[in-house]
Amino acid sequence: MSAAEVNLLFHQRIADHSFSADGQLLAVTRDSRVQLYKRSGKTLALSDELTGHDKTITAVDIAPNSGKIVTCSQDRNAYVWELSPTGEWKPTLVLLRINRAATSVRWSPDETKFAVGSGARVISVCYFESENDWWVSKHLKKPIRSTILSVAWHPNSVLLAAGSADAHARVFSAFIKGVDQRPAPTAWGERLPFNTVCGEFQNRSGGWVHDVAFSPSGNALGFVAHDSSVTVVYPSAPEQPPKAVITVTTAGLPFTSLLWSREDQIIAAGHDCHPMVFEGSEDGWQWARNIDDPKKAALGEEKETSALNMFRQMDLRGKTTSSEDSSLKTIHQNTITKIRAYEGQPGAITKFSTSGVDGRVVIFSV
Amino acid sequence: MAQVNWRLIDVDALDPDNAFPADLLTPQSPPVSLSEIQGIAQHCRQALQRGDQEGALKDALSYPPYGGDEQVKELHLQTVLEILSSIKQAEMSPILQRLHSGPEGSETVDVLMKYLYKGMARHNAGSTPGVSTHATGVSTVSGQGGREYGVAPSRGDGGGMSVLLSWHEKVVDLAGTGAIVRVMTDRRTV
Repeated sequence: MSAAEVNLLFHQRIADHSFSADGQLLAVTRDSRVQLYKRSGKTLALSDELTGHDKTITAVDIAPNSGKIVTCSQDRNAYVWELSPTGEWKPTLVLLRINRAATSVRWSPDETKFAVGSGARVISVCYFESENDWWVSKHLKKPIRSTILSVAWHPNSVLLAAGSADAHARVFSAFIKGVDQRPAPTAWGERLPFNTVCGEFQNRSGGWVHDVAFSPSGNALGFVAHDSSVTVVYPSAPEQPPKAVITVTTAGLPFTSLLWSREDQIIAAGHDCHPMVFEGSEDGWQWARNIDDPKKAALGEEKETSALNMFRQMDLRGKTTSSEDSSLKTIHQNTITKIRAYEGQPGAITKFSTSGVDGRVVIFSV
Repeated sequence: MAQVNWRLIDVDALDPDNAFPADLLTPQSPPVSLSEIQGIAQHCRQALQRGDQEGALKDALSYPPYGGDEQVKELHLQTVLEILSSIKQAEMSPILQRLHSGPEGSETVDVLMKYLYKGMARHNAGSTPGVSTHATGVSTVSGQGGREYGVAPSRGDGGGMSVLLSWHEKVVDLAGTGAIVRVMTDRRTV
């Protein structure tokens, strides 16, 4: 396992980050701007800045093929940014028609649509209407009862999963007539008009759902909730109860984000500041190992942080030891906000990137 | 026009779609009747008298009355606290470990954590008159051998609290901060 690549970009919270498909371009949110970093050698250098939003940006996503960037913000707007031939990023405003902050945005895998979750208890599914030369949105409303915290697309670009503060993870159909081809039937559903609810899941304790993700095949749904758990749902057939709902609780703090690295492997990260790997199948899931384990780091460096030691140092030397005392033993020094695939194909991710409240973007090997 | 602080108008109240009953959030639990929980309490007390504290604890924690009313929950809290205070300090960790490694182990320990917090909350409120009056109908039973630590929690002295705190310490050692987070998150209250 090679060492992690650490990029300390600035000392502000990164709510979301996204790499281009080739890993050469990185977009990170910073207040009401999005900063673009280009890879130059071993480091990332600031190359451009997308300004236009007037409140904190909550999410950013780079479409892997077209390279278009979509951003959404607490100012209730979303912009699609396209690179003009002159090398400038041109924004196009998207009418979301929401009256609360937008919280998350993701391109569909075919890149014809994107979904924006919001505090207005709706998900705006946006698509380009070429007659009007304009991005328009359709609302997924029922039965959302609270803020949408995350959205994730099924590989078929029609089904959409959303995690919500009302403690439910839901699967919707975001089928847009005229844009989408009729999808092949899946275990989630066969006929899928817009706003069909294909599944509504809750874990046992009812923690609000931070993040959702479909497995690479799309035949399972994973979500992380605020009760420090990872839940995986295997649907059986349309309108039937799921085959299996497996919840793994952990001893640590809650996760905020998850990534399916393989069909049988999930990486989750959050308030514990380091990623954890879970492995399993329909028959059961379990914690497998830590990445960037703080306990192992502690063994190597033998740092002493107890109050007793601090006072002992003060007694012996008249001062406390270096500033090392307050730093965490993990690479990230604060909550990890998002975890994303960096290298490898869906279903065989070899490297992933994480962004944190500490302003770092770190690339780990699985 | 009169000054209206429009920022304070609750616009959501005017939205008919906004009805948001709390029970939507809560996973459904079957109702638990008073007689049922009294039966469990009786069963646990018999186990205690046999000296089988571990079995009593396990049984009590296996049937948290999520769907019960206040009286049912209060009665079950009494039962759990009684068992907890009858277990000696040295036995806490081994018992916990066995509970945790059993089937549904982490769930059982989470339930225990809920009772620890509820016990501590109740303990604080216990000094105010009229709060601890629910404790009727529970006879204080002294388990054999448990008496040196067995301070009846309803009496509101410092002893009961220290029992809860040492349990808390042991549970965190075993189940980590996750157990605390789950107590705060969980909609199924005990």
